[in-house]
Amino acid sequence: MPAAERVLPLPGDLARAFSGGGVQRGSVVALDGDPGTGVTSVALRLAAATTEVGEWAAIVDLDGSIGGVAAAEAGVTLERLAMVRGVPGDRWASVVAALVDGCSLVVAEVPRRCRAGDARRLVARSRERGVVLVALGPWPADVTVGLRTTTSDWTGLEVGGGLLAERSVRVEVTEHGTTRSDVLAS
Amino acid sequence: MWCPDWPVVAWRRIDPGLAGRAVAVLEPAAGAPVVRAASTEARAEGVRAGLRRREAEARCPELVIVDADPLAEARTFEIVARAVESLAPRLELDRPGRLAFPTRGPSRYFGGDEALVHRVLAAVRSTGVDDVRVGVADGRFAAQLAARGPGPGATRVVSAGESAPFLGPWPVGALRLVGAAPSADTRGDEDALGALADLLVRLGLPTLAALSSLSEAAMAGRFGSVGRRAHRLARGLDEYPPALTVPPPDLVEIAELDPPATRLDVAAFAAKAMADRFTEALADRGLACTRVVVEAETEHGESLARCWRHDGALGATALAERVRWQLEGWLAAPAPGSDIVATLDPRAAQDAAAGAIEGTTGGITSLRLVPDAVVPATGRQLGFWGNDPAAADRAARALARVQGLLGPTAVATPVLQGGRSPAERVRWVPWGEPREPARADRGPGDRPAWPGRVPDPAPARVYEPPRPAELLDEAGRPVTVTGRGECAAPPAFVRSDVLPDGGGRVVAWAGPWPQDLRWWDRLTRRRHARWQVLTDRGTAALVVLDSGRAGVEAVYD
Repeated sequence: MPAAERVLPLPGDLARAFSGGGVQRGSVVALDGDPGTGVTSVALRLAAATTEVGEWAAIVDLDGSIGGVAAAEAGVTLERLAMVRGVPGDRWASVVAALVDGCSLVVAEVPRRCRAGDARRLVARSRERGVVLVALGPWPADVTVGLRTTTSDWTGLEVGGGLLAERSVRVEVTEHGTTRSDVLAS
Repeated sequence: MWCPDWPVVAWRRIDPGLAGRAVAVLEPAAGAPVVRAASTEARAEGVRAGLRRREAEARCPELVIVDADPLAEARTFEIVARAVESLAPRLELDRPGRLAFPTRGPSRYFGGDEALVHRVLAAVRSTGVDDVRVGVADGRFAAQLAARGPGPGATRVVSAGESAPFLGPWPVGALRLVGAAPSADTRGDEDALGALADLLVRLGLPTLAALSSLSEAAMAGRFGSVGRRAHRLARGLDEYPPALTVPPPDLVEIAELDPPATRLDVAAFAAKAMADRFTEALADRGLACTRVVVEAETEHGESLARCWRHDGALGATALAERVRWQLEGWLAAPAPGSDIVATLDPRAAQDAAAGAIEGTTGGITSLRLVPDAVVPATGRQLGFWGNDPAAADRAARALARVQGLLGPTAVATPVLQGGRSPAERVRWVPWGEPREPARADRGPGDRPAWPGRVPDPAPARVYEPPRPAELLDEAGRPVTVTGRGECAAPPAFVRSDVLPDGGGRVVAWAGPWPQDLRWWDRLTRRRHARWQVLTDRGTAALVVLDSGRAGVEAVYD
């Protein structure tokens, strides 16, 4: 594989967060953060970067709550986005494994009781297939890049008026054992 | 042989409480779901196939609406098919509710068509199905029309050679009835015949007799292959010239299942891959299959075969669906020579759908697809998928596999459509189905059609239904909105399980945005008010107040 193809290019400020301007294919990105801090938006932007280059992205959405309009606003080409909704816990690992076989990027919400063995197997499988696995939630296995959203700063909404307009998401990026902070506009 | 409104019959067998009540079975269509079948009680009130849900409910207020369940329909129909099979071999199933068989041999054996028809009626009634109609004629289309008798138990025998005069007075609209169970990859085919029928009426050819008086060459020349099919049907011939191509023997697709499949989804998944290979092998020769025999064998040597036919070519998806129906049917019907009790208990059906094949005495060891009748493929343009065809195939296979694991609706892709709330603006289309919005986003002249829509940005988490929440004012009382859309006190606290730390103090908000939806309809009218709120934790959420109850509709995550 040529060097350029080993990295999934990311747009704008997201590229800054990752060393090398993109995500290494075959790596595992652990994405975590409280609801409301922008963690889902970051996941959708990663999916958008995948469909942008004409490849397929899949999202495992445990409670079926990820918004389709938000996906479109994040820039996802919806024809190449598969959303797997309502996955029973005992089938989760086989579903993610099947998705890793076919898509370039798989965002998988991690169920509360995810076995470390399953997680390790998925890490090995995505490395072998050259697939970016984005684990959404606490991940009990190896991680290439860790991304943790801490807070979102919103502008536009006031006391009794205005509208939500823009926000910036504060993230902590852990890579090669060091942690640094960054701010993403979205 | 035809059982009208089979979906209703199937539902009544599952739930005896539906007997004697007005029932309509809804089928999800592109756009809003439409009525696919209705019971006689509902028909008396004017409920017809093709109506939308609300229209049907308006015509018949006590209507019980259930969703279509093709697997249950197939399972219950298998019992009827078994009963008919004891009289006549070589059954061809069109779809659950309708089957056909050649009568020449059985008629001779039982002493004439009339005698055979009455034996078939008795056999079907012995399974507990009352509304059954039988027609005998030359050719399937004529027999199908002959079976559309006036009431339960109606029979009609059109003697040999009389089919063309019998068909003559029927309106050309009867061509629509040719369609078998619609499925995604053949729907276009059936629409073509329906559209042609409309056109013929406008051209002044109201009856099949008028159509058959034209020359076949003229029809083929003006309307192409669809015109030719219509002309053949109108003359009482089979849709495709018979025995056009003898199916090459090496097209038989066999899958040995080792270890034996004891779960329906495993067998169905194998069938999906088989169906793909099967249609591919046919396509390599420029053929398409209109009739296929599905055979399965269990560990204990039980062999079960069934012939399925389809108007228009069977696509891979339609084929896999039929294999699944058939396997599903065998779960319920006793295998010949075995001592299994037929079960129509809904719980057993759910168990079966969830996994284990109960009833058959062993796992399925082999599946065979035998092409029984093939026609030249008229060609189908595949969709344009993307830059790398291999990647597209890989993705399609992987997603099909997940659909095999979890069911077809578990893998969805969003399609944007018109609507006000974030949930309404997306339609989740099962992967592989046509991506069509249910409601237009723009009105006539490209004007925005949804006033009062929640403004952008769109929230990344949408809860449907909204998650329970509390929206409180400074004094800790729930925030209320008056009929004029004003709230007495501004929101100060929001609490809900979906917010981090259970919510918190509201530091900024916009709203209330009151909405009075469908005020013209007393039953479906809804009034609600929305707020955008931002908590001291920096969480932005969309809170909705609906009939006095607050809920978090979405979180801007």
